[in-house]
Amino acid sequence: MLENLRNFFSFQDINVLYVSLGTIILGASAAVVGSFTFLRKRALIGDAIAHAILPGICLAFLLSGTKNYLLLIVGAFISGWVSILLVDYISKNSKIKEDTAIGLILSVFFGFGVLLLTYIQQSGNSAQTGLDSFLFGKAASMVQQDVIIFSIISILLVVMVGLFYKELQLISFDENFARSIGLPVKGLIFMLSSLTVLAVVTGIQAVGVVLMAALLITPTAAAKYWSGYLPRILLIAAFIGGFSGFSGTAISYVAPNMPTGPWVVMVLSLIAFISIFFSPKKGIIAKAIIQVRHRQRIQDENIIKTFFQIAEAEESFGEPKTIKMIREKRYYSDKLILKILRRLKRHGYLSQTKEGYFLSSFGQKKAARLVKLHRLWELYLTDYLRIAPDHVHEDADTIEHLITPELEKRLEEKLGYPEVDPHNSKIPYD
Amino acid sequence: MIQQVENPIIEVHDLSVSYEKKPVLWDVDLSLPSGKLIGIIGPNGAGKSTLLKSIMGLLPLSSGYINILDKPLKEVRDKISYVPQRESVDWDFPTSVFDVVMMGRYGQLGLLKRPKKADKEIVMDSLSKVGMEAFKDRQISQLSGGQQQRVFLARALAQQAEIYFMDEPFAGVDAATEKAIVELLRQMSAEKKTVIVVHHDLQSVARYFDWIILLNMRLVASGPIENAFTPELLQETYGGKLTLLTEISELIQKNRFPNRE
Repeated sequence: MLENLRNFFSFQDINVLYVSLGTIILGASAAVVGSFTFLRKRALIGDAIAHAILPGICLAFLLSGTKNYLLLIVGAFISGWVSILLVDYISKNSKIKEDTAIGLILSVFFGFGVLLLTYIQQSGNSAQTGLDSFLFGKAASMVQQDVIIFSIISILLVVMVGLFYKELQLISFDENFARSIGLPVKGLIFMLSSLTVLAVVTGIQAVGVVLMAALLITPTAAAKYWSGYLPRILLIAAFIGGFSGFSGTAISYVAPNMPTGPWVVMVLSLIAFISIFFSPKKGIIAKAIIQVRHRQRIQDENIIKTFFQIAEAEESFGEPKTIKMIREKRYYSDKLILKILRRLKRHGYLSQTKEGYFLSSFGQKKAARLVKLHRLWELYLTDYLRIAPDHVHEDADTIEHLITPELEKRLEEKLGYPEVDPHNSKIPYD
Repeated sequence: MIQQVENPIIEVHDLSVSYEKKPVLWDVDLSLPSGKLIGIIGPNGAGKSTLLKSIMGLLPLSSGYINILDKPLKEVRDKISYVPQRESVDWDFPTSVFDVVMMGRYGQLGLLKRPKKADKEIVMDSLSKVGMEAFKDRQISQLSGGQQQRVFLARALAQQAEIYFMDEPFAGVDAATEKAIVELLRQMSAEKKTVIVVHHDLQSVARYFDWIILLNMRLVASGPIENAFTPELLQETYGGKLTLLTEISELIQKNRFPNRE
């Protein structure tokens, strides 16, 4: 096992180098072609095509009796297209919706393909060796000639996408506008579907038809977490696709009994998983952290505000406040209050003596501003939205944390710097 | 009150259109003068957007034909511009404001050609006309509704067309954007462009447009605002549904019956 690994990465066997390069190219190319299927929200069509080309390949083999790639590709192309047209026809002319039609066609074609494949395997035709790896892929079984053919097709696919980049981008974003300026939208969609069929074909030996759909869709799904700009997404997707393809090949040499496709999908899914969770801006964890920060900010500001409210009620500005006094106004647990107070001390809003806690001058300013925003918003709600004064407090309690300095200024101007809020409490200005 | 004009910029002849087999427009006969600000007014489901899409060749016609500048659509595509409804696209699409406006140049550019420096200048110019040049590198998913609408208008301006078709440009935009759009429409009109706008808000009709089309499954009126924007015609457009027509339409859809042989 370890020896296999060393052998593989030394690239002494020239075939290893070829196959590695080939799978990188086809992985990257499938990802790029698949991007547009993904962006047009036709991800399932890619899956349908991947399954539907199997009977085409088998029929081509049965008719010719050889593993001639050109014929296999023609067969794949025809059955891939028949499946797309059938899905279209069914969803347009019957009550069956598109997703159901895809499910129907996908399983019928794939079922038929597996039937044919089983028949071929039992027919004893010596040329059929390797055909069984078409289902789940076996990168190591590729010879130089296969690699060259599939790499050339892959490169052609990327070139086509490059040439028609601006049109493909437009039909993915706004198909009606594309038609309104006279673009041959039908032709472009035909081209994109054909590119998709060919992208699946390039992967039949390395990854297998069944799991090629993942290589079309997953890289883009993951790449979208790292960028919001299409050219960059295409690059990242290509990289992810290429890397997954390569890792599949490595596995195929290191553990020769393993099918490649499932491993490619495992690597792909791992990358997608990492992207979904750990991407710095859009990832689930990043979003959760932002949520926590928001909550902490609301808690911090509420406690600062409480200092002001106590002082206002008892006319005790500048005197120390204790946790007990704070808890009477704000129903947080002692533990939480202590935690918040520590945080506020760290950020310079508070200082602490034996008698209790003091707001720093910085903290006092902040407290007055929060109270002002709260009361201004209450006034805005009663004056402009005609909400009853006894219903505005809860709204204002949330909004006060959100108002930016620009909005604050507009609010003050709109209300004309009022003296008191709807409950006749004085509004503090600097 | 259907006023036909001499030398129309757009001529709609006996147009009937079905949507998913259900007739939504019946026998619309219409001719429009050039250089006007034209509003298409009517209740929900009246076929306003359908009329626009039919003129743009986006829907199959059940009957009739349309001439623009006295020619069929195919020959004048570079002279017309279409602004779809803002909600018709996915604003989460990963692209920038600049790239969306550049799409307005694709028609002139043609297949396989890359944008040139002149195209980039036109794009920047269009962006400044809607006050969005500072947003050029912004991802479109970060825009507000009003900003999205401005980007769509900038894309239309980048087409440098003579006739503009806009589907509800005022829907769901902020007051500042509404003002900016009106300003833009006036400017376009001063430059002798013809602008046709699907519009929802009856209150502002008289202020914005100088010609209106009243539509409710059939053409109720088409004429200068002072003649066509009358209480009687509005009553005919909005009041009293044509129940019989609606029922026939539904019958046609249900039985998959052709409304033309």
